[in-house]
Amino acid sequence: MAHRVSRRGFLKIAAGASVVAGLSPTVRRVALEPFVRPPEEELPGRATWYASTCRQCPAGCGVIVRVINGRARKIEGNPSHPLNRGKLCARGQAGLQVLYNPDRLQNAVRQTGGRGSRRFEPVQWAEATDQLASALKGVGGKARVGFLGGSVPTHLRLLVTRFLEALGSPGPVLFDLHSVLEGGAEAHALADRWFGSADKPIYDIGHAEVIFSFGANFLETWLSPVSQSYDYGTMRQGQSGGRGFLVQFEPRLSMTAASADQWIPVPPGTEGLVALGLGRIIVEENLGRVGSHREHAQLYRDVSVGAVAEASGLSVDRLQKLARAFADADRSVALPGGYLSGFTNASQSMDAVMALNVIMRRLGREGGVFLPHTIPAEAFINPDLPSPFRDFEKLIQKMRDGQVDVLMVHGANPVYELPRWAGFADALTNVPLVVSFSPFINETAAQADLILPDHTYLEGWGFEVCSPGGDRPVVSSQQPAVRPLYDTRSTADVLLKLASSLGGAVSQALPWPDEVAYLEEASAQLLGSSIGVFDARTPAGFWSRWRQLGGWWSTKPIRQEPVARGLPQGPLQVPAASFAGQPNLFPFTLLPYESIALSDGRGADQHWLQETPDPMTTACWNTWVELNPATAAQLGVTDDDIVRVVSTHNALEAPVVVFPGIRPDVVAIPTGQGHQDYGRFAAGRGSNVMDLIAPVVEREAAVLAWGGTRVRVEAVHRSTKLARLESLDGKGRETLR
Amino acid sequence: MSGAGRRRASIRLMLPLALAGGAVLVVAAILLSQRTAESAPAQPIAFSHRTHAEAEIQCLFCHPNALRSDVAGMPSVERCAGCHRTIATTRRRIQTVLGYWERGEPIPWQPINKMADFVFFSHQPHLAAGVGCETCHGDVGKMNAARQVVNMDMGWCLNCHLKQPETAVARLTDCLACHK
Repeated sequence: MAHRVSRRGFLKIAAGASVVAGLSPTVRRVALEPFVRPPEEELPGRATWYASTCRQCPAGCGVIVRVINGRARKIEGNPSHPLNRGKLCARGQAGLQVLYNPDRLQNAVRQTGGRGSRRFEPVQWAEATDQLASALKGVGGKARVGFLGGSVPTHLRLLVTRFLEALGSPGPVLFDLHSVLEGGAEAHALADRWFGSADKPIYDIGHAEVIFSFGANFLETWLSPVSQSYDYGTMRQGQSGGRGFLVQFEPRLSMTAASADQWIPVPPGTEGLVALGLGRIIVEENLGRVGSHREHAQLYRDVSVGAVAEASGLSVDRLQKLARAFADADRSVALPGGYLSGFTNASQSMDAVMALNVIMRRLGREGGVFLPHTIPAEAFINPDLPSPFRDFEKLIQKMRDGQVDVLMVHGANPVYELPRWAGFADALTNVPLVVSFSPFINETAAQADLILPDHTYLEGWGFEVCSPGGDRPVVSSQQPAVRPLYDTRSTADVLLKLASSLGGAVSQALPWPDEVAYLEEASAQLLGSSIGVFDARTPAGFWSRWRQLGGWWSTKPIRQEPVARGLPQGPLQVPAASFAGQPNLFPFTLLPYESIALSDGRGADQHWLQETPDPMTTACWNTWVELNPATAAQLGVTDDDIVRVVSTHNALEAPVVVFPGIRPDVVAIPTGQGHQDYGRFAAGRGSNVMDLIAPVVEREAAVLAWGGTRVRVEAVHRSTKLARLESLDGKGRETLR
Repeated sequence: MSGAGRRRASIRLMLPLALAGGAVLVVAAILLSQRTAESAPAQPIAFSHRTHAEAEIQCLFCHPNALRSDVAGMPSVERCAGCHRTIATTRRRIQTVLGYWERGEPIPWQPINKMADFVFFSHQPHLAAGVGCETCHGDVGKMNAARQVVNMDMGWCLNCHLKQPETAVARLTDCLACHK
């Protein structure tokens, strides 16, 4: 007879066994390892909090980092910081994984097997900087130096600019995909055209009553999302009179669109045209309580509401209702978002949106459009704007022509972020020395000869002039929360050392012994400012408060009223956007949208962010293709089926997410995946949507028209399991249609 | 098999197990009770508290965090090297210490006094209440190799907490004072 143990018996035995196991004398001996050199102010078992600046995106939110036993344990928002007011987004929270990333470079390395071989050998810092210094001295001291930056912190950008100026080289060229997707260069150009301002306009979302957002995903990645989410809360909670009203114009239901009262998916590239139509109706019907619109009639002379209705698919009646909703509110504001910058008609579209603010006299009014107040010290005047794509193209051309002897790259990864036709990777081969300052081996660093890894942001010094800084001037300071974990070196210190070894004009331009001396001197310029939230009697006292509070800002909101220098010459026009690919061969418009977790791909090396589900589709850990249910049915595919997305230039394969929140003629793919390098969590995962982008460049401002690519979608009759937080068990519940 | 039969079978199985468990329990109890008499664990360096105490170095010079924090902490290697870069540098043991310092390695000291991890003990309030180090750690200044002299169990803690002024006893004997 087989002996069977009853359930009750089994439990008894199990309980007995665990008691026996628990009693066994396994007293674990763990050695008490003291610090070799204890960190300053370290108190074992007690947390120390350091105020610093988040570097996961360029917004510059204030963070406080909890440090125990010299290890950073947790990042929170800095409650005193006027931008994020104690809040922090998922990317900010994941910053610890930048510090503790197992694939960080632990020392300076040289690529020995040739570029792209990924065979690296450690190199002494002194030797590496000597090599760079002698290359910079060049033949006869006439080295042609290029500096390509990504999201470079303000203090480093200022130092680099001085350094290059003293070398007699052109200033740094800045390129990063995040800035391209949020329309950074375009926003600056817009402010310059309308207000003659070097700073981006800021929009008072918190006090607005009606917001018309034209492709501005301001709750996700656009400009300063944490600050704007806070303001959105204020706007919704009706602190300025009533519950605010938000209308979002974009082809995909983004998280911002999902938070809106109305989501209006107009055809890609017609957002500006809609703004133009709304303006025409407001002027024609003399809507709003702002007096006469006669002076604006000229602007809308050539606009036909009927044509706008036809192009946008919105009825004239709907347009009229929207125009009234916008014009009848006391405090309405129109946001020209990053999505507009993705088309060949970018500048005209953004002009059309800004014109709505101008005709409603929303400049410098509460809940309207402002310009930032400058930081009242010379050291913080931000000299360079995001480079237009044209500048980057010029740099690529120079590299290709062999006019660049040394290329230094900091924080930029164009080999990954740009399609191959941009020619960056090919042009690199004509540059004799490529030096990267990346703490990680990303796709661009893999093409470098030398990598001189910078500290990660929790280990380094710096400051960021926040742009936009919310309602006041803000400099956010950065200080090390922990000692550098590895033998990395601050790029600012490397530059200062190079300057002193080069001597002459360069060492005169950069006289500081190290980065901290420079920062102390810069911060001291704010000493005695009458508007600051703190002051001190001595520079040392000021420096201490500067680090303690996490930066400097004004006590009260201070903004500038933008003055329209004169309306654009002649009537406004928004030409039709041009697209790459014949509509009959490539029937869908490709929408590459910025992932809220991985951003433009810089977050892909952090597995907390890989695991963060997209808020709309709940998918993660991969690339996916969002298709409207009607489109999916027409193609005969459903969730998890793999499709091939083909553009005129390239193709990729990825699983389908059937998503009702997208126009049937649009295919959306998030950015951020498809890395070849960049560590174990990023490499070999998903596909890079930017590979599909066809070369369409907006001529006037020379912006890469990343939205102007048409694609076709083919079923490949395979499927995979896409990781999704949401259960798909409810599929087929027809009532949900 | 009937239900009663199954029960009998499981009892037959349980009996030896229970006996074995009981035996282990007894052995464990003996082992645990002997922990106080345990000899000092082998240390990476034969550090003598007596030598340092005779040189009139205060406990808090090397364990200053007892005043301010939950844990007294081990002195950093830098703290050892601070004196021993000039004092007694020819001794073999001191050279071992300096070896750690030069290599930038922590010295893997073996802990002597252990408190269960479900006890939220803090040195700071005890020092603030004027409890001397030797009350719990014994006269370490007379020991060459430090060893545990008190079995730090709950009875021993309460023994002292109950002798405190009447106004404090309720607070000091509250479970949540130590078990949070």
